Amino acid sequence: MQQTSTKRSITFAALTATVALLAACGAPAAAPAPSPTAAPAATQAPAATEVPAATATPAKQATEFVTWYQYDEKNEDPKNDEAVGNAYLRESMPKFNAAFKDQFVWVNQPQQWQKMVTSLVTAVQAGGEVPDLMHTGASALPVFLKQGTVQDLTDWVKAQPWFADLDPSAVQACTGPDDRIYCVPLAEQPNVVFYWKDYFPNGFPKTADEFLKRAAELKQENVYAITYFGSTGFEGDAATRYFYSVIASFGGRYDDGQGNMKLNTPENIKAIEFMREIVQKGYSSDNVFLGDFKEENDLKGIDPNAPRAASFPTGSFGYRYIQPVKAPNGTQYGNDFDPTGGPMLEAIAAGDMAISAMFTGGGAAQPGCHIGLSSFVIPAGARNPDGAKAYINWLMDPANGVEWVQKPGGGLPVNQKLMQEKVFDTPFYKQAAAASAGLCKPWYGSLVRLPEAKQIIAATIFDLIKANPTADIAAALQRADDEYNRGNQ
Amino acid sequence: MLRTRSRRGGFFARTLPFWLLFVPMLFIVCVQLYPGFYTFGLSLNSMVAGARKFVGLQNYSRFFGSSAFHESLVHTAVFLAGYVSLTLLASLAVVLVLNRKMKFSPLYITLIFIPWVLSDVIVGYVWKLFVDPGAGLLTPLFSLPIFGLNGQPLLIASPPAQLSPNVPFPPAPAMLYLIAAASWKALPFTSLLLLAALQTVPKELVESARIDGASSWSTFRLITLPLILPMILVALFNLTLSGMNGVGMVFSLTGGGPGTATMVLSYLLYSIGFTQIDFGQAAALSVFIFGINLILIVVSLRISRSRAELI
Repeated sequence: MQQTSTKRSITFAALTATVALLAACGAPAAAPAPSPTAAPAATQAPAATEVPAATATPAKQATEFVTWYQYDEKNEDPKNDEAVGNAYLRESMPKFNAAFKDQFVWVNQPQQWQKMVTSLVTAVQAGGEVPDLMHTGASALPVFLKQGTVQDLTDWVKAQPWFADLDPSAVQACTGPDDRIYCVPLAEQPNVVFYWKDYFPNGFPKTADEFLKRAAELKQENVYAITYFGSTGFEGDAATRYFYSVIASFGGRYDDGQGNMKLNTPENIKAIEFMREIVQKGYSSDNVFLGDFKEENDLKGIDPNAPRAASFPTGSFGYRYIQPVKAPNGTQYGNDFDPTGGPMLEAIAAGDMAISAMFTGGGAAQPGCHIGLSSFVIPAGARNPDGAKAYINWLMDPANGVEWVQKPGGGLPVNQKLMQEKVFDTPFYKQAAAASAGLCKPWYGSLVRLPEAKQIIAATIFDLIKANPTADIAAALQRADDEYNRGNQ
Repeated sequence: MLRTRSRRGGFFARTLPFWLLFVPMLFIVCVQLYPGFYTFGLSLNSMVAGARKFVGLQNYSRFFGSSAFHESLVHTAVFLAGYVSLTLLASLAVVLVLNRKMKFSPLYITLIFIPWVLSDVIVGYVWKLFVDPGAGLLTPLFSLPIFGLNGQPLLIASPPAQLSPNVPFPPAPAMLYLIAAASWKALPFTSLLLLAALQTVPKELVESARIDGASSWSTFRLITLPLILPMILVALFNLTLSGMNGVGMVFSLTGGGPGTATMVLSYLLYSIGFTQIDFGQAAALSVFIFGINLILIVVSLRISRSRAELI
């Protein structure tokens, strides 16, 4: 009798476990995946006037407002690469929480910058925890739209008083093919060239030929004329930096304007021949291909035994990472990594370092460059979109927005009114604005599958200039075009 | 009443093993079969404007026609050939030494087994540091002319002239280095398998062969090797499967580079899924890799069974 009872108990336990496991097994499937209708639904979000502002009637209990930044307010390491953004969050979070006391409590969940897009897409698709707001580049938008990751913000954005002050080209970059706005741009990060003036006493060369001539002279002084991010690491990010700056400055581009990749053009071939020459003649060091941003050391010039480079095409925000630096005349700016990003700014203010547009080549009329847009998206399934909108409004107030643009934004303000603020009246901002005015465009043009495109382009150009410097350029570019365009069929 | 109870008791007694097995089976269904079928379903779909759309075999045809796929197939074949053969040969050499009675044998065995407890990602990072151009321990060694790198850092050194633009062979130095690192990591486990097999070889057989005048090489080739062959086959398939599916070391050591010189299938899968965020195509590729794994497992089981029948 007792034995039967024991068996029954065991069986019961097994069945209970079975039911529990079945429930656990089914749970992910049961999680609501974002449907295409999720995005339009977001347009029903409260209009501007409904968004709780600092002066609105306080709610009974403050709700959490969750952000995903690449910055971590808890990381107080002054040598951390992201020290500027980390410090900014540490200081601004209490300010926001005080302004929205009893309404919102800002909680930040730091993310790895190169994984943020993937993390958000997978979190939304899996029905997992998503933030209320994510800081991202506008170049992630095609991925988000394909995957149904973000909310349509058109109606809300257009109803805001600051909308009219935004740079129209930045708003365009946040607009999907359906003419709806999906992100809010705050800072523009054009790609520019940082250079040591001592190495280019007559200013940065205007043409590729002038640059090559000067590069040959610098080589005699054991100085590399240029350093750049030429690795295929970081998901092919090289395609958006030096590779694109050269291609665009030779009059080339990556697409045909119809969503197809078109690398195999005479302009691009000339640009790649130029990049090959730079490598073959030893005008850049091997550090440019190593990845992990080792190429930055060449411009810093701190280590007397390390290669020394005279110029560095990169994002305007690069000033924050390239430090401390030592000018060719021996003046050192900063002794250690400075969380304010100050040493490079000091070097620029002192006139040792300067900022320029890229040189032109192949008969192109003007240089070109990529412009990154630091922006915000509100994911589908965000629990507190009101908090996100209140935060964006808070940042559009110059009292808060200026610091954001300077620090985590790392560029020039998209809100044209902010550009008139005194803090932007510095040599760095003036030179960066002058070096990019009207020249820079998003690298991807009409391409849509950007992560794939970046990898294909970076690998192809790397192969042509480094791994196989005798390979047929046109044939390799055509293979790359075919590879990408196969996915368009 | 009593009979009824007895019958019910008998039913539970008879079916209890089934119920007890049912739970772990269900667990396997949840964590293996369900994701497996889900992945297959995913491979027939694609995301378009936030909605999943059935595309049939389009994801398969796309990657079969892709040059990145063809290239990574060659890289995978080169990696597997190098990794499996180097690991097996090195393990065999190690166990032949360890099998002898030596002073401090347990210490040597312990030392050799250290890599086993490290994760692939850690091993990758450590081996990357070894060849760091600024501070790597092995950097001066690889800068010797014998290695032919012409002063280039090993991980970005150009490969020798390739057979054709579509056939990435011979491999880049980074691929050879990756093979060495992966073999170092796999050496302990393979050695353990082979050492266990070697210790089951009857000493009488070896001794009688010696008495009959057989050389060491003949004894190894004609007696030891045939007896440990089943375990070598197990190790071979184990290595092939782990080499085919492992992504951690590629991720941390070479990142698939320089260029695409170490882009093996498993890393291509990671890249398509988690960098390009194309889950449909990644699912299709994972189904393909699953197919290869399945073939390897079936062949492995067949060979093991036929060897067991022979013995």
